[in-house]
Amino acid sequence: MTELIAESRRRGRRLAIIDFLGRLLERGGAWVGVAALTFFLVLAAVPGLLVGPLETAATATGDFLAAPDGQHLLGTDEAGRDVLNLVVHGTRISLTIALMSTLISLILGTTVGITSGYFGGRIDTWLMRITDFFFIVPPFVLALVIAPVFVEVLGRGREILGFRTSLFVILVVIGLTSWSFVARIIRSQTLSLGQRSFVDRARVAGSSDASIMVRHILPNLVPQIAANGALVVAGAIYTETALSFIGLGDPLQPSWGTLLSLAQRAGAASAGAWWYLGAPGVCVLTVALGFVLLGNALDDTFNPRRRVIP
Amino acid sequence: MASNGKDSRTSHGIVKVIVRAAVTLLMVTVLNFTLFRVLPGDATSLLLGGARAAVSNEQIEAQRRNWGLDKPIFPNQLLDYMQATARGDLGYSFKFRGQRVSDLLLERLPATIALVGVAQIIAILCGVMLGIYAGWRRGGVIDNVATSVALALYSTPAFWLGMVSVVIFSTALAWFPAYGAYSPGVSTEFLDRIVDYLRHLVLPASTVALGLIGQYVLVARAAMSDVVSEDYMVTARAKGLTSGQMLMRHGFRNAMLPVVTLVTLNLGYVVAGAITVESVFAWPGVGGLTVEALNARDYPVLQGVFLLLGASIVVANLIADLAYGILDPRVKQ
Repeated sequence: MTELIAESRRRGRRLAIIDFLGRLLERGGAWVGVAALTFFLVLAAVPGLLVGPLETAATATGDFLAAPDGQHLLGTDEAGRDVLNLVVHGTRISLTIALMSTLISLILGTTVGITSGYFGGRIDTWLMRITDFFFIVPPFVLALVIAPVFVEVLGRGREILGFRTSLFVILVVIGLTSWSFVARIIRSQTLSLGQRSFVDRARVAGSSDASIMVRHILPNLVPQIAANGALVVAGAIYTETALSFIGLGDPLQPSWGTLLSLAQRAGAASAGAWWYLGAPGVCVLTVALGFVLLGNALDDTFNPRRRVIP
Repeated sequence: MASNGKDSRTSHGIVKVIVRAAVTLLMVTVLNFTLFRVLPGDATSLLLGGARAAVSNEQIEAQRRNWGLDKPIFPNQLLDYMQATARGDLGYSFKFRGQRVSDLLLERLPATIALVGVAQIIAILCGVMLGIYAGWRRGGVIDNVATSVALALYSTPAFWLGMVSVVIFSTALAWFPAYGAYSPGVSTEFLDRIVDYLRHLVLPASTVALGLIGQYVLVARAAMSDVVSEDYMVTARAKGLTSGQMLMRHGFRNAMLPVVTLVTLNLGYVVAGAITVESVFAWPGVGGLTVEALNARDYPVLQGVFLLLGASIVVANLIADLAYGILDPRVKQ
């Protein structure tokens, strides 16, 4: 009997997931998002296989700022490096920074949101005051002053967890500054979940606060976390690109933003080298748009009230 | 938002909004103070620079006393710092030796205000109008095109659009200059200089505007679509109002509320957003100063910029909150 229940529950869950994916992929936006992201994730996974190791000024083979031709499909940069090679390797850097910083901000935002919504009272008031500050001041502005100081404190030119200092700092600082939006949504969801009877039942059954939050409330928040996670990634890509562009990136591990910064410094725009600045920009645009579309589609699928508005 | 007092609490709501703005500014100041203390190397060695070897301990002590560095960090140094900030004393730049940070910022501010002001006007005229129309005629060709383009613009870093526009309109077509605010050697005639300035403003201002337009179209469209499905629009139709009358009398005014809030909030955010764009066009504003300061690790200037950005964001938030209370009669008692 219990086996039967367990079996049917498992099947029910599988059906729910299939049904969910079906409804998600009914939206055109979701297709575009998933396709774009799969493409770039493949690039990020095996850049070496596709274009060989990252070219440096020493291993560069092309002319300076040469237009695209058969040998260099996306032309070359001011040091004769192949732009396709740089952009494919940049994919890995940009996506890693964006995904890792999103992970940090989802963990932070969810923790703050659940704690705030579950306990309420003075804890809620104080946590929300802090959240308000981070909500009002955008990550880019905060990172602008925090990142250089962190780089200085950790020491330039080191490697931390495989990242050069400045990349590590950008990643952490974006994560630490872009969680407020998640915290607000999770808090309001927790507030309404806290009213539901299963929470009271768990408490009567003797569950601790921590166990109620993690085992009973958190699983119900997964849809919100997923939908907003996609939007946070888009924001993180955006912030990373801007920060790297104004000189916080690292030329030895160039992200798309760093490539744009190098292109700007090399005067690519006034030299008419559209391939050099075009390639990384199109990548940023595609990935950010992909995550926005995916996030909106997830949000629409989970939240029937919002279904009409794209 | 904050002013959702239901009965005669409007004045209470205003007080709350102002207190929140003050707390945010306070936190910006404290963050500025803390970050500077976290930096390796103390202020004395910075002040005495390369001459450190030849400096005696007494001289160092004298300097420390002179600058109040012998006092405890909390609360004395923090309070000193906050008092100085409140007086408008933001310290001296490292890079531009001997120049006050406040003077540097004030010198660069007009160019930034001109840039973001013109950009806001362009963005409001194009974005809001397009969004309102798209929401009014939802599902039409213009709606579909406008929504797709807006979503793409919303996901594109504005400064990159700036670089692309330099390639097209400056390098290829040579319509507009790509760098700076004035051409060297242009005649000193007032009118010529104005025209020259405006020609330099075209590309950067359109770029900042493009960064805003995407958002404006999406929000104005969503607001308008909400209004269109309201009961009072059906009533208006039943009363025999024409489409234009419905749009102007009922639709437009009600859809304006979220749009006005967004536009006002952006008065603060656009200054930060313009930093990267200014850097593309070597526009002589606060953004260019920020990038110079960042690359020279000129911390006092960076702190000043942070305070300025924080203040503009807080003030814009304050205005948006107050405007919301005035525009929406439901918020008032």
